[in-house]
Amino acid sequence: MAALCLIALALISLFIGPRDIAFDSFAAALQAYDQYDAEHVTLMQIRLPRLWAALIAGGALGVAAMVMQVVTRNPFADPGVLGINAGAAFFLIVGTTLLGRADEAFVAVFAFPGAALMALIVFALGGGFLRDINPIRLVLAGVAVNALLASLLTALVLLRQDSLDVMRFWVAGSLSQATTRPLFEMSLIALAGASLAMALATRFEAFALGGDMSQGLGVRPGRVLAGALIVVTLCAGAAVSVAGPIAFLGLIVPPIVRVLSPGDLRLGLLMSAVIGALILLFADVLGRVILSPLEVRAGIMTALLGTPLFLWVARRMSPGQVS
Amino acid sequence: MIGGAATVVAAPAVFAQERALVFEHIFGETRLTRPAKRVASLGYTSHDALLALGITPLCVRHWYGAHPNGIWPWAQDRVGEDPPLELFGEISAETLAALEPDLIIGLGSGISEAEYALFSQIAPVLMHKPEFGAYATPWREGLRMLSRAVDRVERAESVIADVDTGFERLRHAHPDWSKNTAAVGWHFGGQTGIFSKDDSRTQFLMELGFQTAPGLADLNAIDGFYATLSPEDLSLLDTDVLLWISTWDENPDLVDLPMRRTLAAHREGREVFSDHVLSGALSFNSALSIPYAIERLEPELIAALDGTPETIVPSSQKAGLTK
Repeated sequence: MAALCLIALALISLFIGPRDIAFDSFAAALQAYDQYDAEHVTLMQIRLPRLWAALIAGGALGVAAMVMQVVTRNPFADPGVLGINAGAAFFLIVGTTLLGRADEAFVAVFAFPGAALMALIVFALGGGFLRDINPIRLVLAGVAVNALLASLLTALVLLRQDSLDVMRFWVAGSLSQATTRPLFEMSLIALAGASLAMALATRFEAFALGGDMSQGLGVRPGRVLAGALIVVTLCAGAAVSVAGPIAFLGLIVPPIVRVLSPGDLRLGLLMSAVIGALILLFADVLGRVILSPLEVRAGIMTALLGTPLFLWVARRMSPGQVS
Repeated sequence: MIGGAATVVAAPAVFAQERALVFEHIFGETRLTRPAKRVASLGYTSHDALLALGITPLCVRHWYGAHPNGIWPWAQDRVGEDPPLELFGEISAETLAALEPDLIIGLGSGISEAEYALFSQIAPVLMHKPEFGAYATPWREGLRMLSRAVDRVERAESVIADVDTGFERLRHAHPDWSKNTAAVGWHFGGQTGIFSKDDSRTQFLMELGFQTAPGLADLNAIDGFYATLSPEDLSLLDTDVLLWISTWDENPDLVDLPMRRTLAAHREGREVFSDHVLSGALSFNSALSIPYAIERLEPELIAALDGTPETIVPSSQKAGLTK
């Protein structure tokens, strides 16, 4: 059902936008692409890459968020807690400030390594390499690192006008740069992360049972948590490289999935990918038409859509309930 | 108190001079008892006006770009023996007081009324007139205001006359430009936009005789001095000459922008690329930066508008906009 919605919305997204495009232009663009034809360019260079980016970023964020919430047993854990978004932003802004560049190729090179490195640092600070591993400690380390990076970032952008310009465009995540983002590479990375998540799904579930129970099932907490970290880093890192930080998506996908399909985490992960892609695509399409010809960035739309949804979820949740 | 009143009554000549040094502005009125000698410049571009009048300010406000003492190349040779202090970020009242100014230029600084009140305890502060925005005082108006405060009114008039002669010379040499339309565009952070008709960059081209893009007047410039265009439709930029403004010397994202290739201005070689310093000159729009911009742009505009697509526009070729 959700998958059918996604396919329908994907098709709609190709035909909705400020420029009206005749149906037969699509066939023409596929058969004989003309780089001087504005309709062809709109379809092939703007709407198709955007659709692709929405599917990767939304799907990957959905998977990352689900794994994150299951493993930390915290319904408010977002991949951002691991410092992924802040790490990507920090690398980007430091790079821009030092090297005086801010073009898309540059963004592509800096965002993912920044995200991955910061996730590793948070993992280490949270005691990830110690025997006595604890998800709460991991989240606390993430909160501390995020706060530090946020203040360093603020200091940098207050001093440098050009860094501020880079920051303010990047920080409201958007799919409008999809054409120039490393879509293919990030698709592979997200796919690797999602496959690992599927392979480890049963161990994540056992780990989520906690302490003695999970050890009774033969789960090694350190390894499971490291696996989760890799999944979240690959998926959320790919998403942030493609779309920038997308607000709220990571928070709202898992609760919706739990309502729609409680139980098996593998099915839950698939659902998370579909629902994540669906919401992000919907946000992007809506952002394209709501103030047309102006665009509202997808990251802003997800926050606008996500807030009421999140409050609804929070009200339904009974205290102490884990998943 | 009686003594003070007696001085005013007894010295009508001084009183007349004082009358000339009253400045009405957005935050009220500033009076100078005598023309200023030690001037602190807080506006992002106001130091150019002071340098044009032959006064090296005690400090300049860093806007963007890395230039010695915050002075851009077109104004460097005007700096006196004591180069100004470059102020970054928020203005510290302590730093300002240590400079011991007898006048503070708040014109184009964007300081708040509270900051105005605080800095006024250090020295009299000049602000913009209520009819202009914080950053929108026309350069002639600003120059005249400052020239009164430093008692160089005649010099200001001769500076203005020189700049106007420069505009006049180009209009006279290229009368056909008045039949051409021109637009000023930017591409940054995945977004493409056009500067509005009231923006100084557009005004600059109008002073050279050009007409604005048809439809620009009706454009809802939601962002103030510029408007963001839908990536699917950049036709508003498709004028007889299209000037691209860029913060950087290179703009690979603009070069790669697929929709740009659908513009006739691109296909017919009528794009001009404005690099870091030239864009800075157009953005400063000062008595010193305008002559620099005129000198650099004239050959570019001639090449763009010579009626043959084959003629290479040097800046466009250098930036990679045309092959």
